[in-house]
Amino acid sequence: MRNKIASFCEAILLRKHNETGKINKMDILPQFILNSIIAGAVYTLVALGFNLIYGATKFFNLAHGVMSAIGGYTVFYFAKTLGLDVYVAIIIGVVLAGLVGFGLDKLIYLPLRRRKASNMVLLVASLGAMTALQAVIAILFSSQFKILSQNVGTQKLSTILGGVITQTQLVILLSAALVTAGLVALLYKTQFGKAVRAISDDEEVARIIGINTNKIIGYVFFIGSAIAGLAGILVGFDVGIEPTMGLGLLFKGVIASIIGGVGNIYGGVLGAFLLGFVENFGILKISGEWKDAIAFALLITFLIFRPRGIMNK
Amino acid sequence: MEYLIHLAILFAIYAILGVSLNLVVGYTGLLSVTHAAFYGVGAYTTAIFLTKSGVGFFSSLILGIAMAVAVSFLIGVVLSKFKGDYYALGTFGFNTIIFAVFLNWQNLTMGPLGIPGISKPELFGINFTNNFNFLVLALIFLVLIYFASRFVVNSSFGRALKAIREDETVIAVFGYNTLYFKLVIFVISAAMAAVAGSLFASYITFIDPSGFQVTESMFILAIIILGGLANLRGSILGALFLILLPEILRFVGFPSDIEAQMRQVVYGIILILLMLYRPQGLIGEYKL
Repeated sequence: MRNKIASFCEAILLRKHNETGKINKMDILPQFILNSIIAGAVYTLVALGFNLIYGATKFFNLAHGVMSAIGGYTVFYFAKTLGLDVYVAIIIGVVLAGLVGFGLDKLIYLPLRRRKASNMVLLVASLGAMTALQAVIAILFSSQFKILSQNVGTQKLSTILGGVITQTQLVILLSAALVTAGLVALLYKTQFGKAVRAISDDEEVARIIGINTNKIIGYVFFIGSAIAGLAGILVGFDVGIEPTMGLGLLFKGVIASIIGGVGNIYGGVLGAFLLGFVENFGILKISGEWKDAIAFALLITFLIFRPRGIMNK
Repeated sequence: MEYLIHLAILFAIYAILGVSLNLVVGYTGLLSVTHAAFYGVGAYTTAIFLTKSGVGFFSSLILGIAMAVAVSFLIGVVLSKFKGDYYALGTFGFNTIIFAVFLNWQNLTMGPLGIPGISKPELFGINFTNNFNFLVLALIFLVLIYFASRFVVNSSFGRALKAIREDETVIAVFGYNTLYFKLVIFVISAAMAAVAGSLFASYITFIDPSGFQVTESMFILAIIILGGLANLRGSILGALFLILLPEILRFVGFPSDIEAQMRQVVYGIILILLMLYRPQGLIGEYKL
């Protein structure tokens, strides 16, 4: 919905500029750069969690996006329906998203891994989990679009480099930076991180040298899903929530991961910002409705010419 | 009775989709999640020709097939280079792109508003506005496509497909051009999906882009995984079950306002349980 309004406004803006002929696209350039960065930050969050889980398990977890919806709806329930403090609700939302991810691993993915199921089987199982969870959310909260933020339209706006940014969007940028830094620290400075990296390199070997791989992968699911939950909450405050929001976010996260180099943290971040820029500058040329198509066209281009992404050799 | 016929027509349409997708997923081992795109290409071609020009249903059906062949050829050329998970992701991508075309090519597809007033077929004085007649027509197409598919999978061409599924490298070493085989079966499957699309458009008489999204492709995938991969009868069984599922749920007593969601919950859980306990589906011959 908001996308439509936004693209409509863009269209009017562009047309106006064309009519007068004096103002050119340079004037809205800073706003486009800023929008690209904000989009990149959101995609970073989804890509980080997705990449972390993909690195450890090597399968495309399609249920990852639903964790975002779970985070968003938990905050909606606790903050708006029960009237709890927003910050408490956010913490509950992040933890719950993490727990659901953890639960999916223990209930579905772990038994499948024990049975040496192929990646395709895991992918289809995660597809089933995604479909079911998404529908459960729709049953509980209806499939209508909802808004998380209480002060719609009254948010304080700041101006950076000639572009306008809301407070929520500032928080998004900050969160993406903090989560990236935190994850890098976790992976490269702790014993746990070492274990995760060992599993990402080769699970078999990691198990042989005495790492309890299934336990570590469980934690990885918790962390990755919690990050996705956070992304969903932030998107909920910035735009809004709907049960199917996860699929769109997931695809953006997956595309970002692949074009950056799947399984590689820095690659995911790089891919996310590249995707944000290509998408936002793509709609300078054609209408905003094409955003998803542009994103997938970028993915397919990468799959053809550089299937392992920017960072992976 | 009228309602039963309605269900039977839907069943025939989805059985066509299932049988044709099985050629790609079950027999060739390529996890394709883009079938709804070709289903949509067929539906839109028929709808556009029937509402904007004087051609009849059967000509528009042929045009729909031709259009699907052209589109799937272009997509297939790219997809044939991918393997495994990446193939699946690529198909997701193409479904999204084609959906965006349906949604945004406003002066041709009328965008999100959809195309209303699509006429029903008429042939040799038989009027297919009668639902029973339409059912017969749909079943005839189902039978034709079923036997065409059976012919394909039992031919030497079909054996090569199964060999690609089992080990693409080995069959390539034997001198088979696997890219060509993957491309041809993809195009055949898309052409069959277009038939289902044409039938759907002219039966419902209204189409909009929402019926041809990635989620619809996932639904068709669920049909063939449930019924069984690499088993054509399995796809028909899967279609029958998933079309009747909402009715079963209603019979059990779920309120109808959450029916659509409930159906999703059930088929999501079915997919998970199948993967856990019976990855080859009910009567399938191949495990993912």
